[in-house]
Amino acid sequence: MSEEEILGNLRQAVLNYDSDGAIKAAEEAIKANVDPLKAIEEGLAPAIREVGERFHRYEIYLPHVIIAADAMTAAMRILEAALPKDRVLKRKAIVIGTVEGDIHEIGKNVVAIMLKVAGFEVYDLGIDVKVSSFIDKAQAKGADVIAMSSLMTTSMPNMGDLIEELRSTNLRERFKVVVGGGPVTQGYADKIGSDGFGRDGDEAVKVVKRLVGVQ
Amino acid sequence: MMIDLVEVAERSRTGVKMASRDWELGLFKKIEELIKEHNLGFSKAEEFLNTDNSVADAAFKAAVDFIVDVGAYCISTGRIIRFSEDEVKDAIKAAPREIVMGEGKDVRIFKQGKIEGKEPLNICPGHHAPFTEDLGTLVVKNFAQIPRADFLEGFNFPEVDGREILGPPLEAYASRKQAAYLREGIRRAGKPGMAIVYYPISTRASSFLSVLDQECGLRSTDGVLFTLLPDVKIEYDYLTSAIIYEQHGFFGVNGSFGIMGGFCGGPEGAAVESIARTIVGWMVYRDKLHYPGVEHMLTLTATKMTFHPINNARSVVYQALNRNSNAIYMEWVIPSSELCTEEHLWESAVRSIEGTINGANLYAHRVSRPRMNAGQTPLEAEFMIEVSDATLKAGLKRGDGGELLKKITGRLEGRSSVQGKTIQECYDLVKHRPSAEYGEIYGKVKKDLADLGLEFE
Repeated sequence: MSEEEILGNLRQAVLNYDSDGAIKAAEEAIKANVDPLKAIEEGLAPAIREVGERFHRYEIYLPHVIIAADAMTAAMRILEAALPKDRVLKRKAIVIGTVEGDIHEIGKNVVAIMLKVAGFEVYDLGIDVKVSSFIDKAQAKGADVIAMSSLMTTSMPNMGDLIEELRSTNLRERFKVVVGGGPVTQGYADKIGSDGFGRDGDEAVKVVKRLVGVQ
Repeated sequence: MMIDLVEVAERSRTGVKMASRDWELGLFKKIEELIKEHNLGFSKAEEFLNTDNSVADAAFKAAVDFIVDVGAYCISTGRIIRFSEDEVKDAIKAAPREIVMGEGKDVRIFKQGKIEGKEPLNICPGHHAPFTEDLGTLVVKNFAQIPRADFLEGFNFPEVDGREILGPPLEAYASRKQAAYLREGIRRAGKPGMAIVYYPISTRASSFLSVLDQECGLRSTDGVLFTLLPDVKIEYDYLTSAIIYEQHGFFGVNGSFGIMGGFCGGPEGAAVESIARTIVGWMVYRDKLHYPGVEHMLTLTATKMTFHPINNARSVVYQALNRNSNAIYMEWVIPSSELCTEEHLWESAVRSIEGTINGANLYAHRVSRPRMNAGQTPLEAEFMIEVSDATLKAGLKRGDGGELLKKITGRLEGRSSVQGKTIQECYDLVKHRPSAEYGEIYGKVKKDLADLGLEFE
């Protein structure tokens, strides 16, 4: 099988939401001595970008994107394991969740998956997440960004509390903080000292990319 | 026999364990199967309002199959709650067709509307929006003054007595204050017996239960917003509160709309999910009043004005519930553009027309993503009622109504949502009237709607 065919198979597996196919194509890439970095950048990356664009155009829906991202991740594991240590990709990591006292998650789910599609390592802590859990996870995973969502005015203050906690423990400079959710505004983000605010999934990805210096 | 809420709690403890993500992906897969099985393809239809009864009936059947095959998911225990087909059918039969709400001279009967009906619809004019405490009682009084108001929902506020509301003690205290503002506002409007609905300051049981108070809080003729979570998920604070409220007597209100693009998929999937959540809300929380439908993420984030095929999907949900159940449902009138703009009123008109033709009562007019003190004024609530009555007077059927909506939305579709003003900037809460600027905008939109065929008094 030619290199072009293998790259095409990687692309197709992601576009077809096919984890088994993605694993098979990644293994073929290794066997055929295709540069793993090239397989990622020219096979998987354009496919997942296309998936993100389709989602943005509402041609496909959240579950499709999740399954496509799972297929990509399965292939990535194989390809990254074959990279020499000095060439291993260091992706920017994000810890995301809905703040304590709030059980709404649709917006957070969309942002989490769009960040994943954009190439970030995403740790989704779910709903009703305590300030300490966000910070502990971010430290444990060496995250670059903490992203918080809230759909209720009474859970929003937890966002400010997290920033305050980072300040009081001398960790504020360590993490970028972004916030979003129904009642959250740019004004509120500024007031609590957040680094960024995303009105929706698209905006959240743009803000995070800008904050961590990713194109 | 109708399932008991304690039995629901029992099943949530003993049902099959499943990870949340597996539930969500399984739900999507099942809905996709049901869409094919029941031949649901209405998102491709050009019409703005469904005119084919068999489509509505098929969507209802798909939703019942969904509940029987899949059940509901309890996020507190990570377990699945299953229902038998008989339990689902018994529950559908047992649901009330009308609710008696409020007390004394202010008692109202809130009932299921009729598709292409002639009778005026029931109305919840406002709240479910953020206001600062200083405006609380005055805002409530203004909305209660609307003659056609059947009940009022509470509002949320970020501070109580100047303190940030954070954590269970302050949440419970603020919840009681919300109920007190509602009570005082309706009293000042001369309607002390009007029904009020508690809007959760937080979703903890302590907040829900703190407002049970015949004197200063909720009475047995009032209601509580007990929304079933998206993706047919339930949780323990709601269930705990529902068990207690059921014994006191109340009406639960359920935000059962599906969001297109999420785990339920496209417009068809969101419609099936919405019908299912309406039925399950009654089964697990005893919700008697619902605002189902289909919403677009771009509407909810107030990014763009989006209509077709969402309007059509919403009409399928309403018709499905109307033709196959007693469910009392409302259209949530949530324009994405802000107050004191023409776009806001045009979007409001679209929702009011489509709801009226589809037998949906009208609910809590507000901006879809409201800023503080910028979610609603009594003017839009009055406008929503006027448009609904004018639609009835014009005798619009689904086909003609769809054509009218096509004309109206033609000027809005795909445009960015427009920023507007706060209530203080465009409405005088003391004199109970809009600013001159807003009054002028209102007059212009109303005239344009009359030119399009609506018959205003």
